[in-house]
Amino acid sequence: MTTTERTPAVPAALSARARPLRWVAYVLVAVVLLAIPQFASPYTNLQLTLILVYGVAIVGLDVLVGRAGQVSLGQSAFVGLGAYAAAYAFGHGWGPVAALALAVALVGVVAVLVAIPAVRLRGFAFGIITLALPAFAVPLANRLVDLTGGSQGVAVVATTPPEWTGQADDQWRLYLVGVVAAIVFWLVHNLLDGRLGRALAAIRVNEAMAAANGVAVHRNKVLAFTVAGLCGGVAGWLYLIAVQFVSPAILQLNLAVSLLVALVVGGTRSLLGALLGAAFFVLVPNVTDNISPGRSYLIFGICLLVVLFFFPGGLAGALRRLLAWTRRRIGR
Amino acid sequence: MQQIVDGITAGSIYGALALALVLVYRSTGLVNFAQGQMAVVSVYIGWSLVEIGLPVPLVVVFTLLASLVIGALTERLLIRRFEGQEPLVAIVATVAVLICFNGLINLVWGGSVRAFPSLFPDEVVSFLGARATWGDVGTVAVLVGTVGLLQLFFLRTRLGLALRTAADNPSSARLLGLPVGSLLLVGWGLAALLGGLAGCLVAPSVPLQPNMMDTILVYALAAAVLGGLDSPLGAVVAAWLIGIVETVAGANINIIGSDLRIAVPLVLLALILLVRPQGLFGRRDVERL
Repeated sequence: MTTTERTPAVPAALSARARPLRWVAYVLVAVVLLAIPQFASPYTNLQLTLILVYGVAIVGLDVLVGRAGQVSLGQSAFVGLGAYAAAYAFGHGWGPVAALALAVALVGVVAVLVAIPAVRLRGFAFGIITLALPAFAVPLANRLVDLTGGSQGVAVVATTPPEWTGQADDQWRLYLVGVVAAIVFWLVHNLLDGRLGRALAAIRVNEAMAAANGVAVHRNKVLAFTVAGLCGGVAGWLYLIAVQFVSPAILQLNLAVSLLVALVVGGTRSLLGALLGAAFFVLVPNVTDNISPGRSYLIFGICLLVVLFFFPGGLAGALRRLLAWTRRRIGR
Repeated sequence: MQQIVDGITAGSIYGALALALVLVYRSTGLVNFAQGQMAVVSVYIGWSLVEIGLPVPLVVVFTLLASLVIGALTERLLIRRFEGQEPLVAIVATVAVLICFNGLINLVWGGSVRAFPSLFPDEVVSFLGARATWGDVGTVAVLVGTVGLLQLFFLRTRLGLALRTAADNPSSARLLGLPVGSLLLVGWGLAALLGGLAGCLVAPSVPLQPNMMDTILVYALAAAVLGGLDSPLGAVVAAWLIGIVETVAGANINIIGSDLRIAVPLVLLALILLVRPQGLFGRRDVERL
């Protein structure tokens, strides 16, 4: 069972009949989602915010790794760069939009400059080269004390909820992060739902074949790398809004590897998979900590292996199979 | 000169682990991120044996045997499931194995720092104006010996030939009647043994702790890729090169210092790969469509 390409789950005629019903469902889901922050505890809201933040970083990584098939170990560097850029901007009294612009511009430039030479490499060589990004970024952040606060990190007040909203900090941050995450997901979906998506799929399957069929391999790979980096940068900006603090820890290779792991656990080439992977990455350590603090790491590793073992398509793949199964059972 | 000697010593340890990575890549086409952690497990087993009071040479033999078993079991019980699937899933599975072993070490031995006895006498030898301990000399000698044995093994024995066949084209190998599954098992076992060797060599000079191989793994990955991933000799030469460049650059270029040292081999790797994408000793992949 290695079919990972999505097939339409519902025949066209059926979906036409079900369309009004489907819109009702969408509205209901939206209302529930919007209501959650009002009833959840601040701690839960923070967890949800973090899931969305990492979801954005993972959905970007998916463009490069899942779609284009280029395994990257450098995503944490872009998340960190975005977060530091945002911290600088907020620290100097810029507004959120200006901070986002700075983060995106900085990350975009770095991503393109790194991508142009790096994507010429294939397979594991590319992975190891991207590993240089966190390896380089962590000592750099530690040294540029004036900009980054060194190993202490920087704490800033990113945004405060406007008076008229009457929201607490955690609720306001969750709404803000949620809206931005939704926009990023929508943009990524639209970007891949066409020429670029097909070009990347061709590159993933066979680069030589893609080139022979007129796909501009190098340009599309640079584009995928840049999109991945930009999503990482936006995730960094969101991270700063969520946590109001950044330290070199966010740049570390550990996070880059964790994001890759989360991507595969959630399921590649799937927006839902990115969210599920992020949820796994944020929530499962909490659960394992509760079971037994001393064995937390071991249990987390075992959970990972179990998911990989039984759901090679990731959690999203498992969910899709479950849906298809129930649909068959109830005879539509 | 002193720096070059230090570099070769450091490089030899990276090289031993890089050899393990190359062996796994050659037998299963995977990069095993758990390679270092598996070595740490066997070194901890070795430490326990030392505590019981076994003599050091015997401990080394048992440690290597333990590595062999750990590697073979990991392949058979876990990695086998992911062979033939998307390599990405298999790589993430090796990361999961890494996390599990790390957790296991913390559970069994605790996270505190231990000391591992040296395998060689402590005296210092000097030649050509450079000084090195017997440990350093021994490390280099062991590595050179291992590469020689590996080359002989792969090129001159039936098992070596079978391993190469199974790695090169599993389905053809199966049609020829080779037990591909067992061969993969042997490949992983041998790789783990090499990793264990790297662990034994490095353990006396760094404090024994669950994360001790993490940095070394990065260097070993760089060396394996620089050497071309499928060439044992290339991996070792690349590891020495990395060791030397890192030590010399770290000591002589002030701006690098101790914290940016790890970036040196990676930048070197990037520069060399841009000129030779297949690595120093690798063969260019030719694909038939």
